[in-house]
Amino acid sequence: MIRWLIRRLWLGLVTVFCVYTLTFLMVIAVPGNPFQQGQHRVAAETEMALRARYHMDDNWLYYWEFLRGAARLDFGPTFMYADWTCNQIIGSALPVSVLIGILAMLTAVMIGVPLGVWAAQHKNTWIDISCLALVLVGISLPTFVTGTSLIVLFCVSWKLLPIGGWGGVSHLVLPVITLALPFTAYIARLTRSGMFDVLSQDFVRTAFAKGLAPRRVVWHHALKPALLPVVGYLGPATAQALTGSFVVEKVFGVPGIGQHFVNAALNRDAGLMLGAVLVFSTLLVLFNMLADAAYTLIDPRIRQAL
Amino acid sequence: MIRYFLITCTAVWLVAVLAFTCRPSEPPADLRYVNPSGIHTLDPARMSWTQDFRVALNIWEGLTTWDPNTLAPLPAASDQPPQVSADGSIYSFALRRNGRWSNGDPVTAVDFARGWRRAIEPGTAADYAFLITDHIRGAAEYVARRHQAVTALTALKRLADGWDLTPQRACDLTTSSLLLLLQTMGVHCPAANGDDEGSCRSVQECLTAAEVDWRALHERALRDHAASLDSMFAGVGIEVRGDWELVIHLTQPCPYLPDLLALPVFLPLHESIERLRVREGDVPLSPEGLVIYDPQWTKPDYHRADYPGLTTNGPYRLDSWVFKQRARMVVNAYHRGAGEISCRAVDMLVMENVSAALMAYEAGDVDFLPAMDVPYDHEIARLAQSGRRLDFHLCQVSATYFLNFNCVSDTVRGRINPFRDARVRKAFARSIDKRAIVEQVLRRGDRVAESFVPADVMPGYDPPNGLSSDAAEARRLLADAGYSDGSVTPTVDFLYLPADERVAQALARRWRETLGVRVELRSMESKTFAEDIADHRFMIARGNWYADYNDPTTYLNCLTTGNGNNDSGYANPEFDRLLMEANAAANPSTRMALLAKAERMIVQDDVPIWPLLHYALPVAIKPHVQGLHPNARLWFPFRHVTVRR
Repeated sequence: MIRWLIRRLWLGLVTVFCVYTLTFLMVIAVPGNPFQQGQHRVAAETEMALRARYHMDDNWLYYWEFLRGAARLDFGPTFMYADWTCNQIIGSALPVSVLIGILAMLTAVMIGVPLGVWAAQHKNTWIDISCLALVLVGISLPTFVTGTSLIVLFCVSWKLLPIGGWGGVSHLVLPVITLALPFTAYIARLTRSGMFDVLSQDFVRTAFAKGLAPRRVVWHHALKPALLPVVGYLGPATAQALTGSFVVEKVFGVPGIGQHFVNAALNRDAGLMLGAVLVFSTLLVLFNMLADAAYTLIDPRIRQAL
Repeated sequence: MIRYFLITCTAVWLVAVLAFTCRPSEPPADLRYVNPSGIHTLDPARMSWTQDFRVALNIWEGLTTWDPNTLAPLPAASDQPPQVSADGSIYSFALRRNGRWSNGDPVTAVDFARGWRRAIEPGTAADYAFLITDHIRGAAEYVARRHQAVTALTALKRLADGWDLTPQRACDLTTSSLLLLLQTMGVHCPAANGDDEGSCRSVQECLTAAEVDWRALHERALRDHAASLDSMFAGVGIEVRGDWELVIHLTQPCPYLPDLLALPVFLPLHESIERLRVREGDVPLSPEGLVIYDPQWTKPDYHRADYPGLTTNGPYRLDSWVFKQRARMVVNAYHRGAGEISCRAVDMLVMENVSAALMAYEAGDVDFLPAMDVPYDHEIARLAQSGRRLDFHLCQVSATYFLNFNCVSDTVRGRINPFRDARVRKAFARSIDKRAIVEQVLRRGDRVAESFVPADVMPGYDPPNGLSSDAAEARRLLADAGYSDGSVTPTVDFLYLPADERVAQALARRWRETLGVRVELRSMESKTFAEDIADHRFMIARGNWYADYNDPTTYLNCLTTGNGNNDSGYANPEFDRLLMEANAAANPSTRMALLAKAERMIVQDDVPIWPLLHYALPVAIKPHVQGLHPNARLWFPFRHVTVRR
């Protein structure tokens, strides 16, 4: 187990490094000048000095300097929002995204798993079909549609919740629901199909034959193996939810980190772009690892194989 | 197992929600308005966005300010109109004795000199520094000398760091100021001859072979330069006479100076900012010779090195600023008018989605929307114009939306550029039906632009009308230029931003129908667009210009030869001469006549640009908010506001 962990950590580090390198190559390849943020032009002499100051006149040097800073968790200055550092921007935006992401994922698990189990138990009945329909809606509706519809219903028509802004618990409700919806749908679908497979297996039949109550068979014996695909999905999905959704942030005015990905790229803000990518890839690698670790907890066969 | 997992999930869920709910919250402000993109910067020397100006001018106060109704300049930090010398080139401002910073310190002339000096220093200077360097005597020379020093110091720093020198880098580093410096050390390197590989190589060899302790040389040069800074700056026409008098020596008469001085780049700075200056040892410069400050100085709650937090001298002070979320301004208790301000706290909320902001406004969560940039802006305009929504107003902004014709390049992206010929430019211009674009395509209530400078905005200036729309004449002009036969007509390249799509489609169709030309539409994201414009990789490009100050030169200067904003590349010595002559003219009406003559060259003779429209921008003000006046500058001082819910 320890050896496995070390190997995964090492591989994760290599992955993050590769992602950083690829992003860096794209950052220097794309046209556009980060020092040119306004309408008028920066003096050539000043630009040269600024490039020297931030090591941006030497790609190789910049590559290593940024990495060295990143190792100390210092992502350096940003050019678009000159009054803030990348650390402050990421530091203020990441907790927001993490809060919404965690709540959305938990909501998705708490609703998606029981929904999937319920549907599997009532295979091919109207319960199953309506669950499937719900799942289909959840997966296929884009978040900007669900988000805007929720605003129109809850904020404009019924005036139950405020529109946009950030600060109170009322600001959390709609973004969390919107973000949770597609995840809930996926989880429900994965649980349902996993449950189908498991319910037709011998050990379940044995459990029923022993005279165990159906509830106990399903929730105690069948659910664990049925959840394996869900657990595998949860790793990358959680990382994705935690690092923010540009659309959800835009629709609800949530100050999360997703917008900075997009804006940094549009503004050619190299530091912010690289910083955000590093944070995102680290989280992704970390949560994939957690998901794999969770496998071993659920499935003794995998534990033994390690 | 699963049960425990679900229980843990629920517990975490509840704890997260509870923790979030129990955070202390502020009572709501008197006035809440939305700034969709948030504050870009609060550094007055670096800001260039209207929404940043709005915050800055409410928390700071320049020598003058604008009347929110008429936009005429009013005294602010100076309490009386300036004394002007007979030739109009020296302005003397007397400061109020009761001007106070938000910590109670008096506002003195030194504070203004500090702010203006910082605004032109390489490293800090930004978009609006040109207002100082163009108008104040000696400022441009000071900046030029500083630039020389900066390039030499940057090169020395690179050499001291042991940079791996390639011939190209050697060439980039070697400026005349570096060579001069090296000569004093007895090192004689040849000057680089452009980007010629051979000459760069010899420079590289010379620099590598030179037996110089680069580190010591850099240190000495930096120290020497820093020591000479103040005496260099003494040549700039910003003269501090005691605590209360500021005398400005101009390069030439500038009748609109009081209007200029209200802009953020001319704001004063509190002395505490010097505590956050980046220093190399005890030298107050960066190793590259730049004047740089800890960028955090604009935060009200930043206290490194005994910094008291952002200190300002306006009717409000910044109470809090959360990145991309909100900023709160509260009344500056030390301000002379603090007692009379009814609106005690103002919240600026960030909502990137303007439609959501509009919904928040409709729901009553927000009182004021100074920007309503939505895809259905024509609907907003219709509601405002028909009188069905009395809280929606259209601001006729002093800004022009126009087309740039590429006047310089022989070829553009491999094709011959026909727009070097004025007849082709005129043909394309005259075939456009501006009224159709304003009334049928955009329908936002914009005004058709007959001239580059909007009419009825600049006092005393009557802009000349441009050429009329005439399709037959346009075809004749194109034939004259040698493009009579449809087969010879070139394919024309049109560069624009995604937001211009509808206009671009309409123009392309119009040109195809009237002139028979094929138009290749190129919509580009703004950064790539800016690169293509800077490199003149376009034949026709969209352009716009917002007036910086209330004088025709704010528009016309953009078309002078070599101006950084002259995107069309227009160069006509006669036009430049007329502007210079106008600027030197003592008589205001002669001056305006000369400027009108210059503009006539643009809109009637040479047509390097073609004005299409002047923007009308909608704002929404709740009826219970009084004292906000829609105006051409979108300037909304909150000190006059009363909110009666």
